[in-house]
Amino acid sequence: MNSRDRFLYFLSVAAGVTLVFPGPVVAEMQRLDDADLAGISGQSGITLEMDVAVTADRLSYFDDGNGVHLEDLRIGSVTNPDGRAFHRVKVDITDDATLNLDYLVEDRRIEFGDLRLAGAPGLSMGGVFFDHSLEGHLRIRPGGAPGGSGYTFDSAYTMTGGRLGYRTNGNEFFLDDITLDVEALGVTLDVVGDTLRLAAPRIVGSYNVGAIRYSGNPLNHGHSRDATTGALLPSYGSISGAFDLTTATDIQAGGRSGEGLRIDHETTINSAHFIYHDDGNALALRQISGYYRVNDLRLDVTDDWQGRPALGLTLGRMTGEVNIGAIEMGSNGHSLGEVNVSFLLEDREFEGRYYTNALYLQGGGHPDAGSQGLRLATEWSLNQAGLSYTEDGNRVIFSGLQSWGHGDITVNVTRDEIRNGTRFYDGLRIGFEGVKAGYRINGLRVGDEDAPLQGGTELLLALGFYPAYEFELDGHMTLGAGGASGEGITINSDIQLRNGRAALIAAPYDAGSGEVGQKGLWLSDLSYDGHIRDMTVDVTEEGLAFSTGESWSTLDVGNLRLGDKDSGQSFGRFVVQKYETGSGLTIVPGGSGEVCAGGVGATAPACVASGGMWQDRGDEGITVRMKQILAEAADDSRKNAFIWETNRETDGSGQTINGTGTRLVFNDIHTSDGGDFDHDGFDDNTFGVRTDVSIDVYQTRVVKKVDGPDSLGVPGSRGDEKIMDASAAAGYRYESAPSSADLENRPLGFAVRAQTRFKELSINNVDLVHPVGGAQTAVYGVKMQNFDIKANLTATPIP
Amino acid sequence: MMTVATTNVLLLLCALALSIPGQSAAELKRLDDQALGAVAGQGGIYLSGDVSINELGGPVENSYFGRCDDETRKCGARFAYRLKENGGWMVLDDIRGNFAFEGLTLRVRTIDSGFGGDGVLFRADVLELGLPNTVRFNDVRFKIAASSTARPTDPGFQQTDIFSVGMRGEVVMEGNLLVFPVGKP
Repeated sequence: MNSRDRFLYFLSVAAGVTLVFPGPVVAEMQRLDDADLAGISGQSGITLEMDVAVTADRLSYFDDGNGVHLEDLRIGSVTNPDGRAFHRVKVDITDDATLNLDYLVEDRRIEFGDLRLAGAPGLSMGGVFFDHSLEGHLRIRPGGAPGGSGYTFDSAYTMTGGRLGYRTNGNEFFLDDITLDVEALGVTLDVVGDTLRLAAPRIVGSYNVGAIRYSGNPLNHGHSRDATTGALLPSYGSISGAFDLTTATDIQAGGRSGEGLRIDHETTINSAHFIYHDDGNALALRQISGYYRVNDLRLDVTDDWQGRPALGLTLGRMTGEVNIGAIEMGSNGHSLGEVNVSFLLEDREFEGRYYTNALYLQGGGHPDAGSQGLRLATEWSLNQAGLSYTEDGNRVIFSGLQSWGHGDITVNVTRDEIRNGTRFYDGLRIGFEGVKAGYRINGLRVGDEDAPLQGGTELLLALGFYPAYEFELDGHMTLGAGGASGEGITINSDIQLRNGRAALIAAPYDAGSGEVGQKGLWLSDLSYDGHIRDMTVDVTEEGLAFSTGESWSTLDVGNLRLGDKDSGQSFGRFVVQKYETGSGLTIVPGGSGEVCAGGVGATAPACVASGGMWQDRGDEGITVRMKQILAEAADDSRKNAFIWETNRETDGSGQTINGTGTRLVFNDIHTSDGGDFDHDGFDDNTFGVRTDVSIDVYQTRVVKKVDGPDSLGVPGSRGDEKIMDASAAAGYRYESAPSSADLENRPLGFAVRAQTRFKELSINNVDLVHPVGGAQTAVYGVKMQNFDIKANLTATPIP
Repeated sequence: MMTVATTNVLLLLCALALSIPGQSAAELKRLDDQALGAVAGQGGIYLSGDVSINELGGPVENSYFGRCDDETRKCGARFAYRLKENGGWMVLDDIRGNFAFEGLTLRVRTIDSGFGGDGVLFRADVLELGLPNTVRFNDVRFKIAASSTARPTDPGFQQTDIFSVGMRGEVVMEGNLLVFPVGKP
């Protein structure tokens, strides 16, 4: 018997069991069956049937003396905690020395109760359970990659009745009713030098997750229905999709220090799609393609930067690009357009500090939530990324996106209670502790990557997007199951930001000659305290809808600076308090459609007659519909107000002292429907401020404002129109009398159409507050009624 | 107090003209970008577009407000304020209209030269609004009035319209508006 035959003999006995079990099960199977199966070499058509129940108190892995323990491990029946899972494996060896395994697994649960680090035995990362039935086949034949001496695998299986859950402190979050079909042919396994190389030329599959459920009842464990009431557990929705991948993975011994594991990996997404379903409405990402490469990912059992025991994942470099051909939502399946994301994660310095890409997994989660949970000591360095959006063939690129951060993120499954003095909510709680983070973009490019940098993100400020932002973050966001009705997501969050610096307007950080300090208009010395209660997120027939029960926040901008974010001159301090009840936001596919730009008129002739340009901006694009119900003041922390403070005193270090200056206060700003129409003694407040913002990328007329060469040296006269021309040195020229062909090559702009309406907006009083003299009321009430303001703006680079 | 509070923002009006076409162009050229030397913080945006107020009417429909094709009601917006406790209300009423512009620019820039030598001494960042050459007003109108109540639907409502304003045509606005902070923040 040569070595290959001996390998196949061993495989014929063990692989039928091993390849459908995780590693720990092997010893148990050998104990039961090896002796009886010793004489079956070379036979075919052997069928093994087993009822398997395996338990282990602890399974440990040690790396440089540091241990990680998997505790309360169990493999057995899904439905009966003491029961066994049925397995049947047909083993066959063909004449060409190929091993064929047909397998069936029914009603199997693999689970562990705790994942602990030896250095922190009192804390657990929580438990995981995985339920499934499997049916498939595996073929193993000698010969790996071309020229290699390894093995080739052909695999195909169907998983049904799947359930994958995470459990902490008696609460569970799980994917329910999973169906998965996978086919992977020609997978090769080779040893090349000191590297184990696994290459899959094509992995094709599809999946469906029937529901994503939450349970806050400790009596429930891996069941779709509540053990007490019998009702179906609430669902976040369901997902489905398909994929066609090509992957290659290299595995080597050796961690970032001493023992451990090194992984290098590459995946090409040949095609894929992903659909999120909410009560029959879909949010679909279609025509997905791209790739990512992971270089030098190390796994160690080690300590994090604070000396805390952790399972460390440290990354050398990761690069990739993903293209989503269409983002569809709503009942009519309209598309927002196409999105492309490219990224490079690698170590580098930001704002005077060196950042790496690392994730240190620890047990515990939020300290008040119980002993089980996940703490991720995290650091990231996104050296470069590009985000482009294409609609109706026109493209805008958020160029030079960079991000960095450092801090702890905690994950717990929590329930609605006050525990150890901390308020928790139903759902998956993502906590933030001392996260110092930031991002910035270099600017917009419209058309292609070679287009000049321009501003334009200022038009997105209404949506809460800043072109640059740095902050220190604490707080949480808890994602509960169930939306406004049926499936969906309910969000409760409490967020605090400190030492923030956000740009309202920002010049590029690198205009082509190296990085410079970003000039802009900055919200500096910023702090923010924001609270959201019962915000539901649903996919509806119209689009993606957010509806907030109650929210209140205080944005305190210590200095509004011009120029440098730290040393620029200050306009003073600004405080914005917001208190809203029943507000909402809906993202709808489709932009402005037909527009009269620069004129008035509902038809093309009427528009042109008024001096405007009639434009059809196509079917794609994004429309955001916001409804802000500004509530009357409930107390000093829950009201809408605006404060401007100047002439503040300074402390010994020259820092301004808030509250010591003169203040202009717009107090108790609120909306109303204009009367008490339901006769409950209070003005109705259901309409609020309604703002629709439609975003498109579209051609626009740009004229030269002065005679002579522009900033790029292109000559022209005042009033000449800018025409894009690839044959021109700068990519454009100026024309005093553009031809009809020229008009087809007008520059692309970032086009925003907005409409704001409100029935009534009131300011209770406007006060001037002197630090010594106190408050004096300057205006005893402002009432604005019946406003409908439309703005149609296009942003392009300054010529 | 008002004076102290408001001295922190000054507008350095390096070139602002609000006039009929051609009237002030020569004056503005003397101060334009070409003479300013080094300009840091390039980028910014060139904005074109239009803004309309109550083109067809507002969201309120009652005994006072209606759509613009209903001649028995007002379709414009209403802005009321009062400067005295328990006093009457000053009102901008029936506000409506449309204006369009082309070439409003916005950027942050450093001034360290030009301005007849003052730029070197100034050496600071400013928020620059490059005024559009032409702003086209299309039937912009409002009324100044005095009212007994904030809402025209309140009991006892009485209002005296003092005068009306109407604007139509083109206005030339050339040059740059520079905004920067001074004083004690």
